[in-house]
Amino acid sequence: MKDIIGFWGYPRIELIEDMKKKYPNAKFIDLDIDFNYPKQNSTPEAYCVIIKNILNNALYLKERIILILAPIGKDKCDSAFFVSEILKKQGFNIIQSTFEDKCPNINNLSLPICKSNLSLREKIEIITKNIIEQKDYSSLPQTKARFGFWGVPPNDLSILELFPNETEVFGWCRAVEAKYPGDFELEMYVDKNIPTIFFAQSFCSKNYLAKYLADKYQGLYIDIDSTPTNSAKAKIEAFLKLR
Amino acid sequence: MEKLYIDAGTTWTKILKIENEKKTYTIEKTSDFKKKDADYTKCTGHSLTKKQGIYENEVVALSKGAQKYLEDDFVVLDLGSRDIKYIKFENKKFKDLDWNCSCASATGATIEMLLKFYEVDIKDLVFTKEKYAVTCGIFGLERIMDDVANGLKPNIAISKFVHGIAYNAFNFVKGAPKICLSGGFCENPCFIESLEQYSTVIPLGRFILTEGLYEIDKESYLCSKSTIE
Repeated sequence: MKDIIGFWGYPRIELIEDMKKKYPNAKFIDLDIDFNYPKQNSTPEAYCVIIKNILNNALYLKERIILILAPIGKDKCDSAFFVSEILKKQGFNIIQSTFEDKCPNINNLSLPICKSNLSLREKIEIITKNIIEQKDYSSLPQTKARFGFWGVPPNDLSILELFPNETEVFGWCRAVEAKYPGDFELEMYVDKNIPTIFFAQSFCSKNYLAKYLADKYQGLYIDIDSTPTNSAKAKIEAFLKLR
Repeated sequence: MEKLYIDAGTTWTKILKIENEKKTYTIEKTSDFKKKDADYTKCTGHSLTKKQGIYENEVVALSKGAQKYLEDDFVVLDLGSRDIKYIKFENKKFKDLDWNCSCASATGATIEMLLKFYEVDIKDLVFTKEKYAVTCGIFGLERIMDDVANGLKPNIAISKFVHGIAYNAFNFVKGAPKICLSGGFCENPCFIESLEQYSTVIPLGRFILTEGLYEIDKESYLCSKSTIE
């Protein structure tokens, strides 16, 4: 029985709303997430783990997937375009999405989740869940940030537990909360007064942005593959203690 | 009362014992140290479990130890068996840090393995102007094996590898003009001479992290004392 609409990244909102109306009983599954389904070995070994997750999840759930909403623009990445085309060839119903709208007011955004006093892990989890749910979080208690986290949701969310609650979210996650996931200026925005850790998933082209911004703002650049090593965790801990 | 400050690295454990204000420094193989049931005051290092209140982050221990001995502005590089870390202070304030997180093939354990494999004494390593590119240590090993097979003396080949590690270390600290060196490479003259081609080197020895643990312990004692008072 087909009961799943798969997606990755942030498909255009009107596409999501159309699918909710068309398939009211379908379950939306974020294919970016590692659900520990059997590994496919079709990608090179040294490759972005998020793209590997998309392939593993899609192929494991194939019989249940009605269609996949597939962001392929600057709001996601070239690898997502490639994987959408390859999945198309494997019989998936793919609806490609490009969400590159420009944010008109970068400096005057309401970002209740990014600035909330929730734990960093909860913030990131709510931001990604809200891609589909579109709930109002404007009443969340806010906090004054002591640290910043810049980047995408990590494959292994446990590294987010190292941060204190007073951590503000920047980068792609912030652009997602603002509903402008492809706005480059918004993704690159950082508060220069907040010591920030710039994270990218290994083998992702965003590593260049993370390193560039870390050098510019004297933050900490870190890239992690599927799960963090003890040294990667210790590096984050040291930065949080010493800054 | 005896106090023990332990830096348990992958291969070697550095021990600072303080008894009646007298300091004693010893080094043991980590595999031997772990067989004992030592009751230590503070510890750090890759080979110990992170006990709350006792374990301290390695870079934090390094920075505390270095702060005690160095000027307001300094760069400390700690090059160990399996990892490399650096920390930079400016005007007594933390400025930057880095820590390699994955590949350990261009660090101390590889040198020890090569010395054992080719039966070369560390004293026989000599500075060579040439160096192997060891951005990937495994590729560097391949070059050693090829050159030794083609007749190069193993001590010279390993020395070129050591020079490659020194050059990597210099790039790792972002080209700092003065590097305070911590860790086992302080006892490797070939490495120090190689690193001196790029930067002024101040060897600090192998006990900076244990000294840092001692400082942290003193601070926490003073803190708890002032809270009680």
